[in-house]
Amino acid sequence: MEKKIAKQPTLSVIVPITERYDSVKELFYEYKTGIEATGLSYEIIYVLDGDHAAVLEDLTQLQDSEKLTIITLARQFGEATALNAAFSTAVGSLLLTLPAYWQIQASEIPALVTALKECDMALARRWPRNDSAINRLQTRAFNFILRSFSSLKIHDAGCSARAFKRAVIEEVQLYGDLHRFFPIIAHRQGFKVIEIDIAQSSKEAFRRFYSPGQYVRRLLDMLTIFFLVKFTKKPLRFFGLVGSGLTGLGLAATLYLIIERLFFDVALADRPALVLSSLLIVLGIQVIAIGLIGEIIIFTHARDLKEYRIDRIIN
Amino acid sequence: MELSVIVPLYNEQDCVKPLYEAIVQAVDPLQIDYEILFVDDGSVDNTVPEAAKLAHTDKRLRVVKFCRNYGQTPAMAAGIDNARGKILVTMDGDLQNDPDDIPRLLQKLEEGYDIVVGWRHKRQDKLISRKIPSVIANWLIGKITGVPIKDNGCSLKAYKADVIKNIPLYSEMHRFIPAMTSIAGTRIAEIKVKHHARQFGESKYGLSRIYKVLVDLLTIKTLLSFFSKPLVIFAIGSGIFYIIGFIILIAGLLPLSSAPSLVLISVSLLYTALATMLLLWGVLGELVFRTGDLKLEHFAHIKSSILSS
Repeated sequence: MEKKIAKQPTLSVIVPITERYDSVKELFYEYKTGIEATGLSYEIIYVLDGDHAAVLEDLTQLQDSEKLTIITLARQFGEATALNAAFSTAVGSLLLTLPAYWQIQASEIPALVTALKECDMALARRWPRNDSAINRLQTRAFNFILRSFSSLKIHDAGCSARAFKRAVIEEVQLYGDLHRFFPIIAHRQGFKVIEIDIAQSSKEAFRRFYSPGQYVRRLLDMLTIFFLVKFTKKPLRFFGLVGSGLTGLGLAATLYLIIERLFFDVALADRPALVLSSLLIVLGIQVIAIGLIGEIIIFTHARDLKEYRIDRIIN
Repeated sequence: MELSVIVPLYNEQDCVKPLYEAIVQAVDPLQIDYEILFVDDGSVDNTVPEAAKLAHTDKRLRVVKFCRNYGQTPAMAAGIDNARGKILVTMDGDLQNDPDDIPRLLQKLEEGYDIVVGWRHKRQDKLISRKIPSVIANWLIGKITGVPIKDNGCSLKAYKADVIKNIPLYSEMHRFIPAMTSIAGTRIAEIKVKHHARQFGESKYGLSRIYKVLVDLLTIKTLLSFFSKPLVIFAIGSGIFYIIGFIILIAGLLPLSSAPSLVLISVSLLYTALATMLLLWGVLGELVFRTGDLKLEHFAHIKSSILSS
């Protein structure tokens, strides 16, 4: 641990290192130039999620000449945990997370930081894009789905260059893989989030494919965030929709079978279709009951859920 | 401070000034110490500058500005949380409610009521999309919650601050405030109030609310029943399905001459299983409810503090 300088830095820059990273040293110097251009006092924190011996060696070498903090997690915990670890070390009133790989043009960092004057969180949107077509298609699809269920209209959730005020991390809890949706959660908590166009790094152009497992995980994450955004406060709105749909379907089918029995003399007692329609009703009612339990849970905690953030009060 | 008038505003730049003037004109003759709270629900037009201008000339006007748009209930909740008066009056910011009615609301409160709600008996809105759904919704809310108010959707209401400040307001619960407070045995009065057609801007609601109201109603009913008779709503459901299951079982076994019907017996088992599950859900709900931080005693406390004040 290095000695604390007398004056506390204003800007804490956090670079999490997970599975993907590019030339550490080169990137560090590039970022450093960008950060210095902001004119703020700063600290740089690298978080290593798990065992990255090569990176650690590079960083230790850097430490000889440069000032930076290195945090190493004992095993791989995921990016959200890595970020949380860095947040608890960071002292700046402004925070900036940067990707450990080429994503944005480092010279544009000041634009991102100054944008904080008007909002609580500023996101970089890589624009114009010079990726391969397949990359762009992926990004588009991902962001399109995101936009469809959040009132925050973001175009580039995959870019992890984000600047935000300390107040944001004091109220927003990140866990699991939710770091990708950090802006959406922050927005939901009432922070003002804006997106600004930042030039894409010229070095980010290669074609990217993920393993199928990655895509499934992303989809699950999206499902989580979907529930979080839409229904945490009104669980019955969702469960009720699913439940009444199932019950309605079941009731309609049962009714059809009963009418056939009564008026067309088709025997009811030996039709397995009746089991299916009853099952639908049973399932639907169960879903509604679960929703009601959810409502009870929310209600009993309603006093802890503050739904709004006040910007200011005049008089 | 005696009175706080709370008005949520959302993109109502044209209404701010007339509204302020109307409120002052209505309340000034009462000669009481009061404040006006404008809660700006993240307007994107000139609502805030307009309100701020007025606030600079009149210290009684306070403006609470939200970071972004959250909806009507949070705006109400913020107003209620920040109000300093002993009596709170809430009203719409679109000039459809008339501040002239405020003195009458206060008068009614003084007669010993805890909540006075307005009834827009000559409502100036579209018939099909607004009035008819509203009549049905109010009838349903009255039937189910047992608080027969003719116009739950009217924002013009007056409360004793003790009552309303302790009611959890979240999501779109403002429609059910009278029902919620009925747990505490509050006395609720309803008086006719004036209602004007919209002068400026667009109405911000539509038909999509029907599903929400229905679902919220089921929620409220369950919650209210948990306060008075825990488990009862789940037990009733459970009882119904036990009976259905039993009848189907009999039907499946009845033709003694032939073999019992496998299908009917399976269906009967399904319904009995559902009945049992419902009972267990009820127990789980009860468990959650009892360990939560909102209890009947809490509402009893509200009641006693009203009596003592």
